[in-house]
Amino acid sequence: MSEEISIIYKGQFERIDGVLKKLLRDSEAKCSLLVDKDGHLIAKQGFTHSLDTTSLAALLAGSFASTKEIAKILGEPEFSVLFHEGRRDNIHVSLVGKRSILGVVFDDRTTIGMVRLYVREAEGELKEILEDHSEWEEGIGRGFADQAKERLDQIFGD
Amino acid sequence: MVSINYAFREISCKIVYYGPGLSGKTTNLQWVHQKIPRQRRGELISLATEKDRTLYFDFLPLDLGAIHGFTTKFQLYTVPGQVYYNATRRLVLRGADGIVFVADSQRSKMRENMESIQNLRENLAEYGYRLDDICLVLQYNKRDFPDRASVEELNHLLNYRDLPFFEAVAIKGVGVFETLKSISKLVLEKTTHREVMPEARPPIPTPQPAQSRAMQSPQPPPAPRPPRADYYPHRISPLRFQLPPLVEAPEPIEETKRKGFFLWRIFKRGGKR
Repeated sequence: MSEEISIIYKGQFERIDGVLKKLLRDSEAKCSLLVDKDGHLIAKQGFTHSLDTTSLAALLAGSFASTKEIAKILGEPEFSVLFHEGRRDNIHVSLVGKRSILGVVFDDRTTIGMVRLYVREAEGELKEILEDHSEWEEGIGRGFADQAKERLDQIFGD
Repeated sequence: MVSINYAFREISCKIVYYGPGLSGKTTNLQWVHQKIPRQRRGELISLATEKDRTLYFDFLPLDLGAIHGFTTKFQLYTVPGQVYYNATRRLVLRGADGIVFVADSQRSKMRENMESIQNLRENLAEYGYRLDDICLVLQYNKRDFPDRASVEELNHLLNYRDLPFFEAVAIKGVGVFETLKSISKLVLEKTTHREVMPEARPPIPTPQPAQSRAMQSPQPPPAPRPPRADYYPHRISPLRFQLPPLVEAPEPIEETKRKGFFLWRIFKRGGKR
């Protein structure tokens, strides 16, 4: 649909990773995910091994998109923060720039206030990293399409 | 929007199954989920009503493994087909790289098929995109129904630009993988084309060797470095920042004098006007 391709370069990713690590250390949250609004996972940090992060990313994006529509009906441009409270774990979801969403999962070792405070700090840094387009890398290469065709035949049958 | 992550060396694409209510969009995903090996797929997530009608979307992640050094992933979504769920349908469509239009082959459903493709065109336009530019594949589902329309009729009504089309009976898996393979190829071809096109990417910075530089004629002095705000257009340079003009003009002196006189008179009268 879009003529654009969303690209995250290695350097950019390392800087994002650093910000997420610091966020978890300061706020004492369990894990954090940076997702784009189309539902693709950009980066994750913390205890995510037991989580289906691909599905979580898609659902976070869907949840945020539906909240945006609710905001529109109420006459707000956008709700910038979402919070879901569970019995054991909670999730704080916030908007980063125009295209990304930051989800932070935390339990009773910390508080919503602490998470919100450090998320706000991280948002600015992440926004700056995501908007920095100074990096460059070799493309995916011309051989990709041919290999992809072979793989598709292999998996979906001839 | 295709997402390329050079750190993970991962490519992720979004494919949306679109079409009228009960045409078989969820059935397509259920069949793929059932037949694809477990290591190649995630769990099928359905945000559905109590009666198993799609309320928001169905979601199935697929992992094709490493291709040319890049782990390639597809995210398959369906939209709710019922007319009154248009707001959520439009949300799911956001960022789609390819669309499978699942049409119901029954003659009684032709009007719904046509309304749905028109709705697709309108919803894409909401995001500023054209149906004519997008990777699109048609699937004529329910080919086992007795009152099915012929393929020629369906093509006449829906296939307006020589799109690839597939006959299917999704509930039995007929045509499901052919359709998915076709849209996947289209999306990956388009991605590769855009990603390797030299004019679509910034030039590679090539440092010149010192020797050849010395042999060249004297170079003109380097262009002055642009101000920082040109590198970071999202930032507002403090130099460019100007105070907004005052909204109210200062009161004329005559008016101040007049007000002072009235106040003085009221004071003299002991607060009475």
